[in-house]
Amino acid sequence: LLKYRFHKQYRHPSLDTSLTKSRVAGEARAIIRCLRHGVNVPGIRMVDAAEGILVLEWIEGQSVRYLLGGGFIVRIRCSPWYALQLTTSPSGMITLLEDAVMRMIGSEIAKMHRADVIHGDLTTSNMLLRRPNPPKGLQLVLIDFGLAYTSALVEDKAVDLYVLERAFASTHPASESLFASVLKAYEERMGRDWKAISRRLDDVRLRGRKRSMVG
Amino acid sequence: MQTFRYDHFPLDVSCVHVGLFTNVTNAAQLRARLIQASLIQGEAGDVEREAVNFAFVEARLISSILHLQTAVVHAILAQAQGSLRTKTVHSEILWALSPNNNASITEAIRRFGISDETTALLAIRISSPDLTDVEGRMRAVVSGDLSNLNELRQVTDWTNIRKYYKLNQDPALKTPGLEEARQHVIADEIVVSTVAMKSVLA
Repeated sequence: LLKYRFHKQYRHPSLDTSLTKSRVAGEARAIIRCLRHGVNVPGIRMVDAAEGILVLEWIEGQSVRYLLGGGFIVRIRCSPWYALQLTTSPSGMITLLEDAVMRMIGSEIAKMHRADVIHGDLTTSNMLLRRPNPPKGLQLVLIDFGLAYTSALVEDKAVDLYVLERAFASTHPASESLFASVLKAYEERMGRDWKAISRRLDDVRLRGRKRSMVG
Repeated sequence: MQTFRYDHFPLDVSCVHVGLFTNVTNAAQLRARLIQASLIQGEAGDVEREAVNFAFVEARLISSILHLQTAVVHAILAQAQGSLRTKTVHSEILWALSPNNNASITEAIRRFGISDETTALLAIRISSPDLTDVEGRMRAVVSGDLSNLNELRQVTDWTNIRKYYKLNQDPALKTPGLEEARQHVIADEIVVSTVAMKSVLA
C-alpha cells in the first residue's frame, strides 16, 4: 500500500516540505512503536519522507465498518470472508460473533495505549479484520496512523476512546452494547491504568473534547 | 541464484541478483581480497574490483528475503536520488541493514558483512539488465554451495538478530506462551519495518 502525501499548492513551499516530512516520519514512528509493543498494525515497507511517500504492508481483509454495516451499506451478494453473526450463520464463510470482534478491538487499543501511542482517528473504518492466511492469522489490524502521536496523558487516551465512541454511535445504529464490549476488553488488557482513564472518559463525555479548561 | 527486477528504478540499477552460498570455505581469503582490491591502483586494481563487485552479507543475520529486499531497495533509492551514505550501492546495502543511524559505516560493514568465520553468505549484485553470467561471476569468487534462496531460514541466527535489532526489550516478543514460529514472524516484521524506516528514525 503506497501512501502519497502530495505537494499542497495552497501551502507555502518550504512549510509544505517540512510538514510533509514530519507527518510521514511521525506516522512511521508511531507504527514501529506499535509493532514493538505487539499491536497489530501494517508493517512498513519503504519510507521516502522528502517525497512524502510511505509504503506499508497490504492488509487483505475487510473493515469493521463494512462488516458491522450501517444504515447506508447495501448488503451486496458478494462473498466476504467474514460474516458477523447476528442470528444464523451463512455457509462457506467464517463466522465471528460481533462481540468477539469488539473484544479484539478493545484489546488492540489497550495495547496501543500501553505503548503511549494515541491514534487520533479511531473509527471502524480504520480497523480491518485480516483474512487468515499463513503466516499471519486472524487479526484485528489498526490502520491509518496519519494523525497519531506519542503521549502518556490520561486525557489523550480518554479522548481517543471518546472519538471511537462517537464514531460508533454515528455510524452504526444501536451500538451502545457493542462499544461496551470494547471498553470491557480494554479494561481487562489495561490493568491498573483503567481507573484513571475511565474517570477521564466520563469527564470528556460530559464536557466534550478539547475542553481541558486550562487557560 | 535469483534475479529481481525493479523497472521503476533507473536502468543501471534495475536488476538485483542474489545468490545464497552455504558451506563457504574461503571467507577469510574473500575478505582479504576485498580489502586488497580497494588498495590496488590502476588497471589491475579495476579488474580486481570488478571481480569482487558484490555486496557480501552475513546470511545468518537476515531474517527473511523481504528483509534483504527492503535493504536493497533503500540502497538503490539512495543511489538514484544521489544520497548515498557510503561509497557504492553495494556497501549501501550493508549500511541499510544496520539499525543504528548514528553508528559508523565501518561498524555496519563489520557486523552485517562477512567475517573470517562466515560459513553462509549472500552475494548481491546490482546492475543493468545487460550484465551477463552473474552466477558465474559469483561462483568465481565464492567457494561454497550455491543454494536456493528458500534455504535462508535454515541458517537464520535469531539470537543475534534480536540482539542487534534490540528486540529483546520489546513487549511484542514477551507475551507468554508465544510459539517460536510466531515469534519469528513478529521479529521479522519488526526487523523489516526498522530497515524500511531508518531514514526517519528519531
